Amino acid sequence: MIDSLILQQGSDWRAQAEVFEEIFFVFLALGTLIGTIVVAYTLWNVYKYRDDGGEPKEDFDAPEVGELPTGQGGPKAKKLFLSFGLSAIVVISLVVYAYGILLYVEDGPAAGDGSDVEILVEGYQFGWAYEYPNGHTTRGEMIVPADNRINLEVTSRDVWHNFGSSDLRIKSDAIPGDTSETWFSVSSEEVEAQGGEATYRVECFELCGSQHSAMEGQITVLPEDEWEEWYANTGSDSENSSNVEGGVSVDGAASINDAAVGGVSA
Amino acid sequence: MSELPPTTSVKRWFVTTNHKDIGILYTITALFFLLFGGVLALLIRMQLWDPTSQVLSGLAYNEAVTAHGLIMVFWFLSPFGFGFANYFVPLQIGADDLAFPRLNALSYWMYLFSGILLGISFFQGGTLSAGWTMYAPLNIPMYTPSIGSTGAVLALFMFVVGITASTVNFLTSIHHSRAEGMGIMDMPMFTWSILATVWMMLFAFAALLAVGLILASDRVLGSVYFSATEGGSLLWGHLFWFFGHPEVYIVFFPALGVMLELFQTFSGRRLVGRKWVIIAICLISVQSFLVWMHHMFLTTINLEIKTLMMATTIGISLPFDLLVFSLIYTLMKGRIQFTTPFLFAFGALLLFILGGITGVFLGAIVLDYEFRGTYWVVAHFHYVMFGGATALFGGAYYWFPKVTGKMYDELLGKIHFVIFFISFNMVYFSMFLGWETPRRVFQYNPEFQIYHQFGTIGAFVLGLSFFIMFYNFAKSYVSGEPAGDNPWDYSRTAEWAVSSPPPLENWPNRPSYASGKLEFVKDYVPDGGPAVKADADGNAATDGGDNHEEHISKYPYWDKHPSHASIWPFSLSLGLGIMLLGLSGFSESLSFALGDSLASTTMTVSNPVYPILVVVGLIWLIGSGVKWGLEEFYAPPSEFAERWPFEGVEKVKLGMWFFLASDVIVFGAFLSAAIFVRYNAGWMTWEPLTESLPGLINTFVLITSSFTVILALVAAHRKSRQGLLASLGATIGFGFVFLAIKLWEWHHEVFDRGVTINANAHGDPIQASIYYVTTGLHGIHVVIGLLIAIFLFVRVYQGHYLDDERPIEYFGLYWHFVDIVWVFIFPLFYLF
Repeated sequence: MIDSLILQQGSDWRAQAEVFEEIFFVFLALGTLIGTIVVAYTLWNVYKYRDDGGEPKEDFDAPEVGELPTGQGGPKAKKLFLSFGLSAIVVISLVVYAYGILLYVEDGPAAGDGSDVEILVEGYQFGWAYEYPNGHTTRGEMIVPADNRINLEVTSRDVWHNFGSSDLRIKSDAIPGDTSETWFSVSSEEVEAQGGEATYRVECFELCGSQHSAMEGQITVLPEDEWEEWYANTGSDSENSSNVEGGVSVDGAASINDAAVGGVSA
Repeated sequence: MSELPPTTSVKRWFVTTNHKDIGILYTITALFFLLFGGVLALLIRMQLWDPTSQVLSGLAYNEAVTAHGLIMVFWFLSPFGFGFANYFVPLQIGADDLAFPRLNALSYWMYLFSGILLGISFFQGGTLSAGWTMYAPLNIPMYTPSIGSTGAVLALFMFVVGITASTVNFLTSIHHSRAEGMGIMDMPMFTWSILATVWMMLFAFAALLAVGLILASDRVLGSVYFSATEGGSLLWGHLFWFFGHPEVYIVFFPALGVMLELFQTFSGRRLVGRKWVIIAICLISVQSFLVWMHHMFLTTINLEIKTLMMATTIGISLPFDLLVFSLIYTLMKGRIQFTTPFLFAFGALLLFILGGITGVFLGAIVLDYEFRGTYWVVAHFHYVMFGGATALFGGAYYWFPKVTGKMYDELLGKIHFVIFFISFNMVYFSMFLGWETPRRVFQYNPEFQIYHQFGTIGAFVLGLSFFIMFYNFAKSYVSGEPAGDNPWDYSRTAEWAVSSPPPLENWPNRPSYASGKLEFVKDYVPDGGPAVKADADGNAATDGGDNHEEHISKYPYWDKHPSHASIWPFSLSLGLGIMLLGLSGFSESLSFALGDSLASTTMTVSNPVYPILVVVGLIWLIGSGVKWGLEEFYAPPSEFAERWPFEGVEKVKLGMWFFLASDVIVFGAFLSAAIFVRYNAGWMTWEPLTESLPGLINTFVLITSSFTVILALVAAHRKSRQGLLASLGATIGFGFVFLAIKLWEWHHEVFDRGVTINANAHGDPIQASIYYVTTGLHGIHVVIGLLIAIFLFVRVYQGHYLDDERPIEYFGLYWHFVDIVWVFIFPLFYLF
């Protein structure tokens, strides 16, 4: 059943961003529809049954001070249960639907030809450090190939951070002493469309100290062959920082915003 | 000290224990904190105006964000709701006051002084900057070193202590003081929602108390819970959110109760499906404890538990749906009056619907993966919490005539509502539009600037709109139209049956619903006996004997006039406040150099002010407690009341049981923390830190002391002063033996084995922390028990408790509890 929900996209996967857009749209459409109906119905009735100053009808059974409550059950409850039943159907359907999508997102697409790249992401006060499979490390800018599944193992060196990229729709808590996981994948078409190099903004989504607001990074996606070339030129030297700083300078302004796009550090 | 000065005197407000006065104090103080938190919000909004410029430094911004959250959630929303609860719950159930009037005053003064401590923390090097959620390890001194951060944590601790007293009070009152003929299902909806609120509070705030104590221990004593890599961060997450989720319903329910009342009053219709509404409220109360991991979907918890939490979270929207539909259907076929209270209550419903729908989004894990840490969450919770609280402003207008006897200005009220509703949506809907902005970030993507600017304008208008209400209330209080007993056409509840404002002791005679509706009944009081039911001529009804047995409350001071004044709640709170202020800077003022033994250990005092404050505060606290115990203060419960399901349980005993239930959760949290961390470290990698013999001896000592405390109660029943002195003395003796052995054990661990609170020569430092803090907490309970026992011993010597042995019995209950806790601690720390 899950497979039929997943659009085939050439290499048999869906980007997290696409999954998110779908489920967000479904919830938003349903939520807006239901909210509008309920609010409109309520406003209409409030208008219809307003007190227009005239005498109450004879059968208007007004409450009095000191009466014990009634209405503990009774026929009016039928309407209540109808509405309750409808909302239960909606809510349970949403749970089932959301669960199906969750399973896909948790596992991700099949590895296929084994071309996964695993990167260890370490948050620190106040930037992001990345370690590649060959031991090479960069700070601030993560450089990955298109058309591969990138597996992220996320942790922290000090306090609780959260590594997130809104554009890619991925996010994961960075907890000291623990490792969480997420994955993403960017197609080569997308990279082409962005002029041969796709960049995505990374921000910190958990309050982590005085420079939390400026704690940014970048994910750069290169065409697979270019990336292979770059990767082959890296040794397992430590802290070979790219030309884009993810940390913060003393005056508190992030430098990411005006980083030049392009170039790969050797 | 039982004479209550008139309301015009300042002294009255310091000594009053009357629920109506305290309700007024809570309401006014809460509105002050609304302004304080609101100013912080405006500072935040100013910073958000332009992502490239700053009004505050990064650290100051974090302080503003943290204090805004703490103040609004703790010091404004709940106290504002409880101001109404204090004033109106006793009236709605037909009681004279709350069950424990002095305890009620204590809750208020603890609230006030804790807020003052929070204010002081700004001046102690900056207040806490870790967010109101205080995630670990950002919350430990290594990352938030200011003394003010500790001050804020201790302020919160004091607040929670006061809240616990309030919880015990309301639970006992609602279960013990209902008027004759008012069964639990007959209570008004506002009181019902307060009942659900306090049941949740009992268990939720106990968890916060525990995690707050652990954090205070990390900050003041140097333990290493939250810096431990064996799950320290997640431990905070679990404990805090186990509290944090029920907390948001605790905040909402009083507002819901107001909505349920006002929708009925201003439509002239009775609540539709009332029984199901009550069931839904109870269901939500229980279910609120089963959803907390939806705040942790992006942590390392496993898929199965995440899925379960998604189901319970989205599922909890169902009973809320029922509540919303019931409110809507109640309006239909009514005669709806668009008074200011109704406008606010109705507006609250609309805001809550929007907020609730967006909450369902957050329950879908895949959506939460993206919404986490963004303004979607911020917008959602402001819509539900602040939107819900809108109903509380409706309550303020609704009950203003009852409290002051004057009517507010209706036109000004409507103007306030319109400006409020529009500006509210300006601020918070703009957050949905710019939702991708990360939380607590002011250097955001410039794409969203227009939304944030729109929101900032709305925020200033929203803030200023409150002054319309303040002006309205002040002006109307001075020169408004007299309101009469009941200015509303279709109100139903008992507070509208008495004058505005009500008399000091609330009722002309005894309120009773026995006839099917509210009547004021005059009972017959024979000489030398408590009140009995009267017949039509005002004489004792012929079944007087039966009456007496059925309804006797077992409170021995039935003939005493109720007291209304005491200075000791104020004094005790002041003492605790001073002590906690001292503790905030304690660890920076003292340092220890360990020698070979305690005798050769040196202490250096770098700043005497904080340690002196601790000592002065502690002495003041204990002194006030003793004076409280010695004071002649009476709060006799009614002879005739509905007490289901606790018939036959005396008032103070019922309160003691509620308190112990809360303490069970506190220790439960500590033990869960120990188990959680040890499991993360690898269960079998830890050996017990100490030999088991001292622990084993102590177990026997405590069990024997439980036996002697039972003997004390037997002696009291038999009116044997000698027996009582001997058994109580033996209990105290055993208690001291326990402490002596414990101190020997600790001395041995520190000086002979190199195991201190944050260093462990035999394994993980966290193991040592857990050992000292958990056994230490138990030890503090033993010390408190001994202080009470010594007080009782002296009083027995002076001839008391032979006629009224209740204090011996209730001390026994507490002592048994302390011993049972030890029975759980012993195997966990000494055997495995």
